[in-house]
Amino acid sequence: MTARPSIFDARGRWRAWWDARRQPRESQTLTQRNIYIVPSRAGLAFCVTLLLLLVVSINYQLSLGFALTFLLAGSAAASMQMTHGSLRGLTLHLKPLVPAFDGEAAVLEMVVTNPGRSRMGVGFGLDLGARPIPLAYAEIAAEGQSAVHLSWLAPGRGLHGLPLVRVESRYPFGLFRAWTIWRPAGRQWVYPRPESPTPPWPLAQAAQGDDKPAARSGTGTEFEGVRAYRRGDTLRQVVWKKAARTGEMISRETAGAVQRELRLHWSQAQGLEPEARLSRLAAWVVAADAAGHDWGLSLPGVELAPANGTPHRHAALQALARW
Amino acid sequence: MVTRVADASVSSGARWRAPSREARDTLFMVALIGWTIAPHLFHLPLWVAGMAGVVLAWRGWLAWRQAPLPGRGTVLALLGVAAVLTFTAEKTLVSKDAGVTLLVVLMALKTLELRARRDALVVFFLGFLMVLTTFLYSQSFLTAVGTGLSVWGWLTALTLAHIPAGRPTIRQAAGLAGRAALIGTPVMVALFLLFPRIGPLWPSANSATRTGLSDHLQLGSVADLASDDSIAMRVKFDGRAPEQARLYFRGPVLIDTDGHEWRAQSAFDGRSRRAIGLRGGGVEVVGRTISYDLTLEPTELTWLPLLELTPPSDAAADATHGVQVLDGTELRPLPDLDLQWRTRRPISERVRLHATAGLDDHLVGATPDDLQQNLRLPPNFFPRTRAWSRQWLLDHPPPAHAEAADNPDPVVQGLYRYIGSAGFIYTLSPGAYEGDPVDEFWLDRKVGFCEHFATSFVVVLRAMGIPARLVTGYQGTDAQPEDGWYVVRQSNAHAWVEYWNPARGWVRADPTAAVAPDRVEQGRAIRPAQGFVGSAINSLSPGMVDRLRVWRETLDNRWQEWVLGYNRNSQFDLLRKVGISTPDTDDLGRLLTIVISAAGIFGAAAAWWDAHRRTPGQRQTRRLANALRALQAHGVQVAAHESPGVVGTALRRRFGVVAEELACRLDAMERLRYGPPGTAMAADWAGVRAGARDLVAKLGR
Repeated sequence: MTARPSIFDARGRWRAWWDARRQPRESQTLTQRNIYIVPSRAGLAFCVTLLLLLVVSINYQLSLGFALTFLLAGSAAASMQMTHGSLRGLTLHLKPLVPAFDGEAAVLEMVVTNPGRSRMGVGFGLDLGARPIPLAYAEIAAEGQSAVHLSWLAPGRGLHGLPLVRVESRYPFGLFRAWTIWRPAGRQWVYPRPESPTPPWPLAQAAQGDDKPAARSGTGTEFEGVRAYRRGDTLRQVVWKKAARTGEMISRETAGAVQRELRLHWSQAQGLEPEARLSRLAAWVVAADAAGHDWGLSLPGVELAPANGTPHRHAALQALARW
Repeated sequence: MVTRVADASVSSGARWRAPSREARDTLFMVALIGWTIAPHLFHLPLWVAGMAGVVLAWRGWLAWRQAPLPGRGTVLALLGVAAVLTFTAEKTLVSKDAGVTLLVVLMALKTLELRARRDALVVFFLGFLMVLTTFLYSQSFLTAVGTGLSVWGWLTALTLAHIPAGRPTIRQAAGLAGRAALIGTPVMVALFLLFPRIGPLWPSANSATRTGLSDHLQLGSVADLASDDSIAMRVKFDGRAPEQARLYFRGPVLIDTDGHEWRAQSAFDGRSRRAIGLRGGGVEVVGRTISYDLTLEPTELTWLPLLELTPPSDAAADATHGVQVLDGTELRPLPDLDLQWRTRRPISERVRLHATAGLDDHLVGATPDDLQQNLRLPPNFFPRTRAWSRQWLLDHPPPAHAEAADNPDPVVQGLYRYIGSAGFIYTLSPGAYEGDPVDEFWLDRKVGFCEHFATSFVVVLRAMGIPARLVTGYQGTDAQPEDGWYVVRQSNAHAWVEYWNPARGWVRADPTAAVAPDRVEQGRAIRPAQGFVGSAINSLSPGMVDRLRVWRETLDNRWQEWVLGYNRNSQFDLLRKVGISTPDTDDLGRLLTIVISAAGIFGAAAAWWDAHRRTPGQRQTRRLANALRALQAHGVQVAAHESPGVVGTALRRRFGVVAEELACRLDAMERLRYGPPGTAMAADWAGVRAGARDLVAKLGR
């Protein structure tokens, strides 16, 4: 953080002001400071129409013509307030991001808090480079919260910054365009696209294990008993009915889920392009996780000890995404 | 991109399928266009109404069936047909009527081409233009109400087009549009009152649009006027009103003719009677004078039809004479040689004035040139009437072997008797005169109205060597005054004659009086037969139609005075009322700037206030945090998600019994907000605050 620029340092102040506007934020409340409003193209056409009406009124000395022209001018001024007002006071808040696989839409979920009356014709869009930014319109209910889901296609695997969110309104007359730009704080994980259909398990691994894990993958639901919930148990393992009754988290113990150990290795996906290798490994990770094995992952420079559960799965997929 | 938002489910009845939103919006727009162009259909050719109706109905049907729109070729072809039809009917495409015709057709056709939002916007803006064109034909109160509805409708359509999601009802959209218009109304009033009213930016050829007096006369044009019952002016007399037969309002004096048409001098030539040195300003004052107020509706002409004779304001002649213009001073009317009151510019606003007239005054004095001009007849015209005149003079020689011109009065009396006895008929619909209208009227058909009588009379007198000329204007008023004002209608338009009597000056002669004394003596306006509705109402309650009319015209008068008649002078009056002693246009601009800036500041303040609005939950959290601020020292923090009850429970757990009282108060607040409705209880944040202070005191001990 640089020192606050002095009053006379106009350029520095401008920079500071501009940077403050570009800071990623977890939530943004729309006020006069971050809503921009300009006449739209239709607004300019309307201006020309008003001028025409005024000239005709003057030339034919039409009192009612003046009244009409001025009524429309007044309504347009009021509509500027209303356009601004349809964004003003809204708070945009980003919900936790859900990682996506490459090739599938990443979903950005926002909660819009509206302290005022209901807002109509509010458009939401993501700045992905297309002009004009395509918008999806929604009605935001009065005095409450609405959820808005925006999907986008991230450019390949990795950890990506979020695109700018644009919220725009032309309501009610379309004469003005008010918008705000929000840089949501957060990073979107995009995992490598899992190869489909899931390729057979690596041969070396099949020899090592007792059984073909692929055949086992369906048996994950066949439970032998229950035990107390342990960190890392998948949600599917939780006995929800019991949890609801007693408030205690109980997990199913599936047959041999903890006995089998699987090692996924970079070298097992030999003979492929690096991206295709990552895809294959991702497919195996997903399958192994679904099967409930303890599994580990070794990539050049990355070593994950065998374990299972959602955090482990994410750690592995993140390692693949970042690799 | 996907937006998941609860979608309003479309309720569909079992029998009647509700139209889709798009179809509904289109149908609304089609109906709106119909409503907006309806007032035009009365004065546009029939084919326009037919074409617009068919196109709109077609569009409505397509919307209902959700069928595809016709191709661009069809639309262009229809537009071409309309342009050709307009051109053949109006002989031009740029006149007002042609413009309105094309606008109506264009608007109807554009509905067939609503593909993108831009097309819709074009229709919206055409709609506003269309509303304005209605005012070219009528600015009555009723028109204002009707067009007010149109404007509301168009704003509603505009709103509907900008709510892309869901299915807002038309009522909702109308409410929103109405709200915008209501918020905009103060701006409208300020602009209406203060926007500097200036004259036309360039001369418009709209004199033909208003019926009324005209600066030229061709036999037949007064017949159009006769059917026009609209108000030309209103007069109020100081004291008792004179008899109707003496109320002549002097308009254009027509001296020159080419045989077909009589023309007035097109502009004031600067020669006044006083300037050429006629004694007493060229007016002989006889008898008493009468003062009157007059308001004249816009005529687009440069004549003020004043009561005969209203002489120039001239201290040397008579201090009581003169014209004092109250509204429209910039017109600076001046009397010319023939005592026509001419204005500098066409009268495009209502004029209000106070003047004094001498009903028995004469114009005296004339230059020889002047008299010569009043004898001129175009050669080769009216041959039979001229011959008849000479013969008549031989048959009725003037007494004492004098020339007819030396004492024309007996000749005029003789001609009156002739008209009264020769089978002339006064009628409003004499039918078309082909050939030479004067010859044909005077000698053959003998049916006509004031114009025919007056022109023929002038021709006869000139043929006899008596200088004579045609005077047009208004004669008579309504019999009963409204609010003390006597109404002069366009149907009071009249034409009469002035002839030169060397002994008396210019003398008025009204040949129409000789055949239809009613027309003049009672000032009875030429009134067309009542329509079916009028006669039906009158048969129910005699006089009802007249009472209704008086009531409506009083309303119209007020409307005229306050809204339509609001002009630059009214603006200056307003400025004087707010304390600016010598207002000018700059003051208007300044005041307008101040008012608009104030409105802007008010709007910004409202926006700031609105931006700091909180949801009820946020408000509650803030109040709760404020009320419990005293406890901050003890580490009590209120999180955004905590309700009063939750905080109370936490306090109980933490401080035990000492916190019980405060916790109870918090529970009460909890019940108030989340309990079943109907518990009559007031929020008591002060109590919570007091409880918090108590708790702090107890803990401190």
